[in-house]
Amino acid sequence: MYRIGVDIGGTFTDFALYDARGSKMAIYKCLTTPQDPSQAVLDGVKALIEREGVPIADVTDVIHGTTLVTNAVIERRGAVTGMLVTAGFGDIMDMGFERRYDLFDLRIKYPSPLVPRRLRVEVPERVRFDGTVETPLDEAAVRASAAKFEELEVKAVAICFLHAYAHPEHEQRAAEILREAAPELFISSSADVFPHMREFERWTTTTVNAFTQPMFDRYIDRLEKGLASIGFGGRLYIMASSGGTLTTETARRFPVRALESGPAAGALLSAWQGRALKLPNLLSFDMGGTTAKGALVRDGEPIKKYSIEVARVHEFRQGSGLPVKIPVIDMIEIGAGGGSIAELDARGLLRVGPRSAGADPGPACYGRGGTQPTLTDANLVLGYLDAGFFLGGAMKLDKAAAENAIAEGVGRTLKLETMRAAWGIHDLISEDVARAFRVHATERGFDYRSGSMVAFGGSGPLHAASIARKLKIPRAIFPVGAGVMSALGLLISPLAFEVARSRRIHVDDIDAESFASTFATLEADASAFLRRAGVADRDIRITRRLDMRYQGQGHEIEVSLPDAPSAGPLFAGMPELFAQAYEKSYSIRLDEPVEIVNWKVEVIGPAPSLGEGYTLTGSAGSAKARKGTRLAYDPARGGMTEWPVYDRYALTPGATVTGPALIEERESTCVIGAGDRVTVDARYNLIAELGS
Amino acid sequence: MTNQTFDAVSLSIMWDRLVSLTDEIVSTLVRSSFSTIVYESYDLSVVVLDAEANSIAQGTFGIPAFIGSAPVTLRHMLKRFPAETLKPGDIVVTNDPWLGTGHLFDITMMRPVFRKGRIVAYTISITHLPDIGGTGFGSAATEIYQEGLRIPICKLYDAGKPNELLIDIIRTNVRVPEQTMGDVMANVSCNEVGGREINAFMDEYGLEDLMPLSRAIRGQSETAMRAKLRELKDGTYRNRIKLEGFDGPVEFAVRVDVAGDNVAFDFDGTSGCVRAGVNVPFCYTNAMALHAIKSLTLPSIPNNAGSQAPITVSAPVGCILNAQPPFPTGGRHAMGHFVTPLVYGALADAIPSEVQADSGMMNLINFQGSRRDGRAFSTLYFASGGYGALNGLDGWSTLPHPSNMAVVPVEVWETLTHTTVERKELRTDSGGTGRWRGGLGQEVVLRNDTGHPLTILGMGNRTQFPAKGVFDGGDGTLRVHAVEGKPVHAKGRLEVAPGQRITVTEAGGAGYGNPRERDRQAVAFDVANGFVSREVAQKVYGWQE
Repeated sequence: MYRIGVDIGGTFTDFALYDARGSKMAIYKCLTTPQDPSQAVLDGVKALIEREGVPIADVTDVIHGTTLVTNAVIERRGAVTGMLVTAGFGDIMDMGFERRYDLFDLRIKYPSPLVPRRLRVEVPERVRFDGTVETPLDEAAVRASAAKFEELEVKAVAICFLHAYAHPEHEQRAAEILREAAPELFISSSADVFPHMREFERWTTTTVNAFTQPMFDRYIDRLEKGLASIGFGGRLYIMASSGGTLTTETARRFPVRALESGPAAGALLSAWQGRALKLPNLLSFDMGGTTAKGALVRDGEPIKKYSIEVARVHEFRQGSGLPVKIPVIDMIEIGAGGGSIAELDARGLLRVGPRSAGADPGPACYGRGGTQPTLTDANLVLGYLDAGFFLGGAMKLDKAAAENAIAEGVGRTLKLETMRAAWGIHDLISEDVARAFRVHATERGFDYRSGSMVAFGGSGPLHAASIARKLKIPRAIFPVGAGVMSALGLLISPLAFEVARSRRIHVDDIDAESFASTFATLEADASAFLRRAGVADRDIRITRRLDMRYQGQGHEIEVSLPDAPSAGPLFAGMPELFAQAYEKSYSIRLDEPVEIVNWKVEVIGPAPSLGEGYTLTGSAGSAKARKGTRLAYDPARGGMTEWPVYDRYALTPGATVTGPALIEERESTCVIGAGDRVTVDARYNLIAELGS
Repeated sequence: MTNQTFDAVSLSIMWDRLVSLTDEIVSTLVRSSFSTIVYESYDLSVVVLDAEANSIAQGTFGIPAFIGSAPVTLRHMLKRFPAETLKPGDIVVTNDPWLGTGHLFDITMMRPVFRKGRIVAYTISITHLPDIGGTGFGSAATEIYQEGLRIPICKLYDAGKPNELLIDIIRTNVRVPEQTMGDVMANVSCNEVGGREINAFMDEYGLEDLMPLSRAIRGQSETAMRAKLRELKDGTYRNRIKLEGFDGPVEFAVRVDVAGDNVAFDFDGTSGCVRAGVNVPFCYTNAMALHAIKSLTLPSIPNNAGSQAPITVSAPVGCILNAQPPFPTGGRHAMGHFVTPLVYGALADAIPSEVQADSGMMNLINFQGSRRDGRAFSTLYFASGGYGALNGLDGWSTLPHPSNMAVVPVEVWETLTHTTVERKELRTDSGGTGRWRGGLGQEVVLRNDTGHPLTILGMGNRTQFPAKGVFDGGDGTLRVHAVEGKPVHAKGRLEVAPGQRITVTEAGGAGYGNPRERDRQAVAFDVANGFVSREVAQKVYGWQE
């Protein structure tokens, strides 16, 4: 009984193989194959099971996370997509929000719509705001559009009608007609993809779905056939952005739900680690080469939201991407990573990122022609990285080149000596991340001071302790297998599906019966996806949430209802739950009428268990954990001091390390400051209690 | 610590942190507000000022109208309530257009920040209130007294104790007392958060006094701004534009003196005030001029007193850009926004590669009526004209400039008002032609399906004077308001009967450079997508298929 998690990233494809009987975890990495990403997946699965001596027939599940959908949107490598849209409203896609996200930058940029204006076909039909029909669907016009789409060489169509969330029948009928007339077309319709009020966002979401569908369909097909050809007879699941998994059938229908699934899996594993360690409130922090991602975990679950922006075109600026409405784990993304370039900003002060040297040419110390100073250069100069042990020694770094880049690039102009400039680069990034977490947490009413930070990714462990200290967080956790966190996270993701529908109504205008029936429709829709995957009704857990507000407000508060077989009995207590939630956020209750805006139902199958946890194969303690010492920068003294260096893989459960210390693993180095105390737990996680 | 200096790293870190905490105050304000104009359109501002009333950080989000107004308001407030008399928990308030931000709708609230018994900073928040009594948001008044309640500088809280009389007066004078007081209280709590955050910030970095940091931030900003201004060619630049007043055209004039690293704006030659709520108090003129020069030179630098130091702005007392009481000012933005194109036009020869051709600008219409179920509503409809082109960048379709807003989605608008949007479409050929094309305007048709008469209050501009192109770029098309197909006064007050249609046609943005030099592929793309008609492509762009 084995399960495999596979996560495709930009550079590496990561694998985790879990043996349920022995609670053993084996991990593996290989290079991603951009031409056909399924190649790396198949090769890696084969290599991993051969290495571990596991027969393919014993593997029951493969759970897959991928950035394929995101990348297809960023690189515009999707199908030629058309749009069938309510007459008079196709131009909404060019109009967007009619708002600037920067008041001063005249050269502001927006992404062009995925469906250009000439590929939008308008049809007469109109539904009113209350779901009644003003103009019936012109079926002949829909039929005629099929020929038009063929002439335009369109392969996928997004059907986008106004108020379809209130009355999906027109979209459904149009889809039926198009399927008959042009069976080879891929069709997505807006009420099916995400029945949310606000046409620009819903329709953009639908076009993203349509645009990526043919590509994702072919990809899954290749993957299924490839896995079958090596003898895999189990089930393949696709990770969704919300932290749940989808069957391949569902994923093919809604590829938009697989955006950003890799980072979601990482946050999911942080949450799981926290539950295992009885630390329910966490800041999950992942920093790689170009970006840092953060998520908050409250009471053991990552905080979620229902919108995400993809393919930002202007310096990661919020507002410069395509707005997509899907359930996602609520992530901060900032342009800060190992490759982030340090330079002067318009004020004449030091700034790091969001420009990145990427992997090629990469930081100056890679010796591949990069000359601009980056974060990795700074961490090398500061002694936190070892020039001879980068990626476990697989790549030699050039320290002199790093020093030179920092001195020339920023040191001279800013009159900073090289070491001060290097520490400045390091500290600025820590500040940027701390600031982003602070704002994110405050906006969500999350008291981060009582939380712990879980750090992973190539650059995360280098900065985690210092960021946590800035936030006055008492603890940083460096989980075992941090280099393949997302692949591990895939293994604990339950089969789940979430639907949300806009239906704005005053609390006084409904009763328990209509309350229950609105939910019941959503529950039936969502459960169908799990039933088709073979989950028994008794194993389906239903969670219900409402977006509510005082009438007249523009921002809603999400109210979670307690678990119950049906929503009816929850009706009476609902207004009080809202008042409590509002009070918790704003320390005030108001005497205003209350309304419900959005209704959300998530159905969750049984969560796969990692039992009491797992140990990595190949980790064995040894007495010689301490490798020696090296000179590294001590910010308190403002100079280089001797730091003990440890081999993470040689540390045994129960061992303690007192800072300052550098604990090296293949993908990163944990920087432990003076006064911090690290304990190795039973599963080889490093738990750092931070000094002040 | 008084002579403390900061290196390029420390200053960067502390400065960013200060701006970020100001943004946190904004976030508190927005999330507890009751008016769409605050939470959707960010018609607000939050400013942190030092103990000497210099602004050192302003919230990133907000609209340009509030740049530079807070320090002036604070100085007026300190004249009335000297610093040494202020107590912890005091909140000072005013909505006087001439002491604040130019119209009665904006309330300005100030709270001193105490640390160990001493004032170390002030926080100021400003929001556009849902209502302030009088005629309502629009340009219909002929005197300021008709526009609503005018609150002189006074204390809303005295050492933490609320001024019940003032609260009662506000409640009694406005149409929506709950929402208005809700927004007033949102301002109170965000200033409290501000005081807490500033003290936490000072704890974290071991500061007992903000003045050294303030001096460093302002000094660095001023140096950066001066360096940028030195790149402008010295000289005197002038511009004069015509725009619609209420009963006839009005002229704006500007003279810009660029000398070394100083820039002076003077609006001498501008017409006098009009008997409609579109007159502009000087604080607003000043803000728009500062926004114009900043957007042309150093857009990314945070706003503070330092970056404004090299710039002076003046306008003759009594002209429409320095309006005096009792002239009404309710819709001052409808005029004040033209300061930006006026300044860009003047500086076109000084920095040709940076200026923007004129934009079609935003349009605000106040809708008052009842929904089908009889519930009353009073709300703002937004739609935007096209964005002016820049060297190297086509103007975006339906994007506002210089002010900002967010459109209310059709689905939300219909649900809120029970009116029906029949169509919302781009206007082919509405963007000015050019090597870089102007952004397109739009046409929106709204039908009164509420079953009740509807009152609309317009504040539209560009109905006679289009967005002007630069360097041989073409003009944008004009804005039109019409009822049942018949054009109506865009600044008037109208009754719309049940079943009648209102058509709002938004102005196009202007073009930059000669259209014959436009990239041929770009012309072909515009034709294929219907942004430009075949005829115009052939005739103006010299395009051949």
